[in-house]
Formats: sequence, structure tokens, C-alpha cells
Amino acid sequence: MRACKALIRHCRFYPIDSVLSLGVIALIIWVLWASISWIVQAADWSVVSSHLPLFASGSYPLDQRWRPLLWISLLAALTLITLIVPIKRGSNRWMGMVLPWCWVFMIPLGLVLMAGGLGLTPVPSRAWGGISLTLLLTVCSAVLALPFGILLALGRTSDLPVLRHSSRLYIDVMRAVPLIAVLFFGKLLIPLFLPMQLEINQVLRAVVAFALFAAAYVAEDVRGGLQAIPETQREAAAVLGLSPLQSLQLVVLPQALRIAIPALTNQAIGLLQNTSLMALLGLVELLGIAQNLLANPAFIGRHLEVYVWLGALYWLFCTAMALLARKIEHSGPTLNGRSA
Amino acid sequence: MKGTRRWLLQLAVVVLLLTLMGVLINNLAVNLLRTGLGLSFSWLSRPTGFALAEHALPYSPSDSYAWALFVGWINSLKVISAGLVAATILGVLAGSARRSTNPLLRALAALYVSVIRQIPLLLQLFFWYFVALLGLPQSNPSPLGSLFTLTNQGIAVLGVHLSVEFTAVLLALSVFTGASIAEVVRGGLDSVPRGQWEAFRSLGLSERLGLRKVVLPQALPAILPGLSSQYLNLAKNSTLAIAIGYSDLYSVSDTSITQTGRAIEGFLLLLLSFLLLNLLINGVMQLLNRAVIRRGQRS
Repeated sequence: MRACKALIRHCRFYPIDSVLSLGVIALIIWVLWASISWIVQAADWSVVSSHLPLFASGSYPLDQRWRPLLWISLLAALTLITLIVPIKRGSNRWMGMVLPWCWVFMIPLGLVLMAGGLGLTPVPSRAWGGISLTLLLTVCSAVLALPFGILLALGRTSDLPVLRHSSRLYIDVMRAVPLIAVLFFGKLLIPLFLPMQLEINQVLRAVVAFALFAAAYVAEDVRGGLQAIPETQREAAAVLGLSPLQSLQLVVLPQALRIAIPALTNQAIGLLQNTSLMALLGLVELLGIAQNLLANPAFIGRHLEVYVWLGALYWLFCTAMALLARKIEHSGPTLNGRSA
Repeated sequence: MKGTRRWLLQLAVVVLLLTLMGVLINNLAVNLLRTGLGLSFSWLSRPTGFALAEHALPYSPSDSYAWALFVGWINSLKVISAGLVAATILGVLAGSARRSTNPLLRALAALYVSVIRQIPLLLQLFFWYFVALLGLPQSNPSPLGSLFTLTNQGIAVLGVHLSVEFTAVLLALSVFTGASIAEVVRGGLDSVPRGQWEAFRSLGLSERLGLRKVVLPQALPAILPGLSSQYLNLAKNSTLAIAIGYSDLYSVSDTSITQTGRAIEGFLLLLLSFLLLNLLINGVMQLLNRAVIRRGQRS
């Protein structure tokens, strides 16, 4: 209603602008109409609907498919719960305490469900694929990149020259090279740099390469957060008798990380999007599955359907991540388990 | 006391880093000996034996690897520089549109930014290549005749022929980076105090003139750093061209490495080329930055 009033007022003041707007409206209606009629009539969605399990878990063994599906559903459920349950200070403290631990628990759970062990049949990483692999790659590399990135940021801002320069060199070189080169390096060269006997699988190599790359970007974001903390905070901590390590751990880092959350969210979203590059290097994550499907002669000319479906999925994941991050940002200091 | 501790800590870090490097290099040496590769750059002068689909300079499969890499570098430079221009135009337009007085334009720009930024670039590249460009008809009689033709063989504008691969990479890079630049521009515009907008409006300047003459010049110092990091991203992202077979620097390096097995040397060269490219972009942006700041001080 308010938007309507604003629109009417706008038309009275800017007549030429309004004519232009009408043109844009006509264009939008035409595009919408064409898209909807394509989605409903022209598009053949069977290429997507008949391969839903493939998109979810790749070539995971048929009788074990419930494992990746269970993990994806749990992640989705947890996301919904986190977004819906209001975390206010004081009320719902119980939820505020339990939810972060649930999230932490999802990572080992995902690894066990995918890889097997603890009574589950082992499934080699060759057979992993689809959404479950995309999410696993994202989560594992993010978890590795965050502490490494924080260490790099601390090194970069340290007043010890050796630490500062070596961190800086690492960050600058990593930020100068394209990700695909780092991944390629990981695929080809990590085996060359390791002792002969030590063979690590393809997924782990990808995770390591992603983490090493992302850490350099995380470091710059955390450094931004560190620089935003006034020197008086450290001084106050010192006056209270905290050791430099304690002051860092209890005073500086919690504040710096909170400031860095929006930037770190963007990094996490970028990481999720970048996992699609593994499709070029032989992992069948979401995009890799799609390319394999489209290489099948039975689905010639079905590119648009598959890409629209994939685009919608990625959009959904990224938006969910952005919403989650906003929730964390606004949830207040109860987040780290200590009361406000 | 504190000084000695600092020195000890630094010494420990140095020893740790050196040990790590020593172990890695030792492993590398052992592995290179085992595979009988060794390190050498003599392969650079050997003929490649592969053809490049696109080359701005004369090139044939009998030319050397070094020349092939250079041609790839030129191809990269071509798509990057075209992409920089297109992305900047798109980004500035979309970013300004988000602060326009027209609500429709604002919504449209917001939609563009939010959709494009949440979808992986590689997927967008595939879309432009396989759907938008290869989906075009074989021959497409256009009303402009020979001035502009758009077919699945490529695009011809005024006699200049652009290949489908080049066009797809260019479109994907500029649309994707344009959305990020739009956010940078919006942030820059927001950094200009509200009063400046009100001032030019009350002076009777049109929105477009006010934006160009009053707001944008003041927003530039806030925009430029973000812009240069987006430019660097665009340059790095141009390596995705390998996915659709555009012979850029990365794609030529990849083929060379696969053919010769010289992974380390190839990777070192790639690293150097990208450092060079980064220095180039950074240098130009710094010159621009300095010019903007100087102009700001003079006026």
C-alpha cells in the first residue's frame, strides 16, 4: 500500500521517468510470461525429476543412499530450526546453548555417515557425489580454513617481523593465484610433496586445497576485524591483569570475529560456490553430476532445465547461509555459550 | 627478558618453517628422482604439437611451448581487458540504479545483484555457452545485415569476429563481476553524506547530472579500493575459460603440463604470470587512485 502511494507520487513528479518505467514494466511482464510458459509447458523436467537421488548423492551405493539423504535432511532441519527459533537474550537460553553444539556435531556426523565406520559399511570417496559432496566439501574446508585463517591474521598483525612477513607472503601469494590453479596444484602436486607411502584420497586433497586457499581470504577479513578493535580494549584487559594470550582469547578475538562475520559469510558463500570448480577436476559434486548427465545422449538439448534447477539449488543454499549468518550476527553474546 | 622471549619465539617459527620446507622439498626431490623427471625448462623451446582454437598472433602446432604460453597470455589479457570495461559499465549502472529515485529500477537492480551473486560463476559460464550462445540458430538473418550477426558460430560486429567461446567467457565474467561492482558502487554512494544529494536536488540539478557531477566524484575514493579487488577477482576468474575450451593462459598451461608432465615448472610459470598480471592491475589502479585523491585535494 505504501509502495503504491509512493509510486503514484513518483509518477506525478517525474513524467518522463514514468514512461520509461512503463516500458520496463512491459518488459518484465513479457519476460515473466515467457519464463512461466517455458517452465510450465515447454520445459521437459523429466531429466531432473527422474534423477533426484543422483543429484542428492551421486553414485553412492543404492542400499546405502539413506546415509547422505539423512545428513542432508538433518542439515535442512537444523537450518530451519535455527532460522525459526528466536534467540533472545534471557528467553530460550536452552536453545541458544544447544543449537551451536548441534551444528558442531553435524560435521563428524556427516563424515561418519558418508565414509562409514562405527558399524556402517565403508564407502570409498570415489562413490561420493551430488549435493552431499558439495555440502561436505564446503563444511570441511570452512572448518579447516577458519582457525588457519585466524592464525594467519594474528601473524600478519603481530609485531614480530618474522611472523609478520611470512604470514604476509603466504596471504599475498595465495590471493594472487586463481583458485583453479590451487586445486590443480592440490590434485597433481600434493602427492609429489608427500612421502611415497602416504596416499590421500581425492576428496581430502580437494578439502586441503580449498582450505589453504580460503584461509588467505579469511585472514584478511579477520585482520579487518582485529584492526577495528581499539587499542584501549587491550590496555583495559592488561590493566585487569589478563595475560596477552588471555586478552586475545577473551577480549580481542570475540569482538573482532563478530565484526568480521558479514565478510566471513561472504567467504563461506564463495566457498560453496567455488566447490563447483571440482567439476572440472573430476569430482562429481552437484555441477559435476549435471555435466555427466548432460553428456548422456538421451538428454541432448536439456541444458537449460538442468542449469535452471542447479541455479535454484545453489541460490537456495547461498541464501540459507546468508540468513543463518544474519541470525548469528544478531543473536548477541550468548552465542559463544557465555551469558550476556 | 621480554626481548629474549621475542627472539626465541621468532627463532622457533623460523626453525619450524624451515623444517616444514625441508621435509616438503626432500619429499619432492625423492619423488622427482623416483619418476626420473628432475627440474628443467628446456621443454619450453620444443614444438607443442597442439593447435589453439583462437590466437591473436600467428601460431601453429610447430611453434614452441613458450610461444603457445605467450599466445595464451595474450588471449587472457584480451578477455580480461574487455571484461573489465563491460563489468565496470554494468556495475556502475546497476549500483547507481540501486540508489535511483525510480522504485522499479531499484527493484530490478536489486534482483540482478541478488540472483547473480548467489549462483556459481562456472554454472553461469555453462549457461552462457551451452544455452544462450550454442542455442542460437546456425544462420541468423539480422535486420542490420552484415553490420551485426549473431549465430552459434560467433558474433560479428562491423567485420570484427568474436568466437562463441570468447563471447561466453566475456558475458559470464562481466555479468558476474558487474553484480559485485554494483555492490561496491552502492557502498561508495552510501558513503557520500545525505546532505550532498539534497543539496544538488535543491539546486535543481537532474538526478543523472547530480550523480555524475556531485555524488560520484565524492564516492570514488571509497569505490576504488573495492573496485580494484573486483578487477583482480575478474582476472583470476578468467581461468574458468578452460571449462568451455577458450585457449587462455591457464588452459594452455594445463595442456602443456599434461603433455610434458612438467607440473612444477608449469605451475611456477603460471604463478609468475599471475603475479605479473596482478602487479599490472594493481599498478594501474594505484595510479588511478592517486589521480583521484590529487584531484580531490585540488578542488
